[in-house]
Amino acid sequence: MGLDKALGDGFLTTRVDTVVNWARSNSLMPMPMGLACCAIEMMAFAAPKYDVARFGSEAMRFSPRQADLMIVAGWCSYKMAHAIRRIWDQMPDPKWCISMGACASTGGMHRCYGVVQGIDNFLPVDVYIPGCPPRPEALIHALMDIQEKIRNDYSLAQDYTSGSPAELTAPTI
Amino acid sequence: MTIDESGVAHKKEVVDKKNVVDKNASMPFEFTSADEPTTEQRPNPHAKESTNVQATVDALKARFGDAIVDVTLYANEHTVRIQKSVIAEVCRHLRDELGFTFLVDLGGADRFTEDERYEVFYNIVNVKAGKRIRLKVRVDEDELTVPTVMYIYPGANWNEREVFDMLGIRFDGHEDMRRVYLPEDFEYYPLRKEFPQLGIPGSLPLPPRSPEAGLTWDPFAAAHQGPTIKSYQEPKSADEDQE
Repeated sequence: MGLDKALGDGFLTTRVDTVVNWARSNSLMPMPMGLACCAIEMMAFAAPKYDVARFGSEAMRFSPRQADLMIVAGWCSYKMAHAIRRIWDQMPDPKWCISMGACASTGGMHRCYGVVQGIDNFLPVDVYIPGCPPRPEALIHALMDIQEKIRNDYSLAQDYTSGSPAELTAPTI
Repeated sequence: MTIDESGVAHKKEVVDKKNVVDKNASMPFEFTSADEPTTEQRPNPHAKESTNVQATVDALKARFGDAIVDVTLYANEHTVRIQKSVIAEVCRHLRDELGFTFLVDLGGADRFTEDERYEVFYNIVNVKAGKRIRLKVRVDEDELTVPTVMYIYPGANWNEREVFDMLGIRFDGHEDMRRVYLPEDFEYYPLRKEFPQLGIPGSLPLPPRSPEAGLTWDPFAAAHQGPTIKSYQEPKSADEDQE
């Protein structure tokens, strides 16, 4: 393979990665898990004034199978948590999660028996947004953080950098 | 000017008690039990004519007699306390004969007393006449049942279920006495005074933290067991490589 030698190890895969991650980060499809007043700000975030279409995430998918970003907006009760986790499990990999607002992140002012004290007790959260409720700009910033995370991820080249595929099985808890 | 012991000069305060305006005078607490009842009759600014239903109360007294335990008039609102065994008959009489066709609200309260600890209230409206009446029923801790009114006012269905969910008062004859808000297997009644507001750890499960795991019984699993991780291994980020 003369081309490989000329281009160096991993040249082709890292270039493909860049293209794949660029496409992935600019076409995130959020699953809007609007539970309380934060959902109103989330609607503003998708609406023309703040216009998340500039970041390629205007297509809210109400089907978990078509979504790759879950935005949990609002306080979450213990009864609702099971539904959220089930929806999360139905989303295809790779997937990301934004915990929007004080209530979703920590329980917020709802320090009582019925409200989950932070959705990170049952969901892997990538970005937390403080605020009660956060402004749409804050949600856009969280989305940009997710985009940055995706762009910095390896994808196709991970077999070469993280060991053999046998070591990459899902971690068990 | 006077000089006090610490040597600080200050103006002598002359208080003429007659000319001092009591700021609290406009909103006296004349209904709290600690105060002596005032003889002076002031109009209550919040009182409404629609809640004074003397004619209906008289009709109920004539029809049910001793079953009417107590009638109170507070802020021009009539509250009729009745024996719980006749609540269904009273509601049927109010609806069919007296025109009170709309049950606005039904709820419960924990009075935390030795006798007749719980209370269930019914707010009922006569839409045509524009009148409101409040019924109350007291429930003893030993016998936590009240006859249902869901066959007279179908809107009472979920309200009675909520009272059962929050206080554990069962409604006799209710066709669907299940919890509303909390899971079916929850063992406590959260609106009772002895229930801790922060909940009882281990009483409500969180969902599994991974597809393979079982339910999480620790309400602070993220703090005790570490953060929830994704079910697939995330590739290393460029930032982590640099560290």
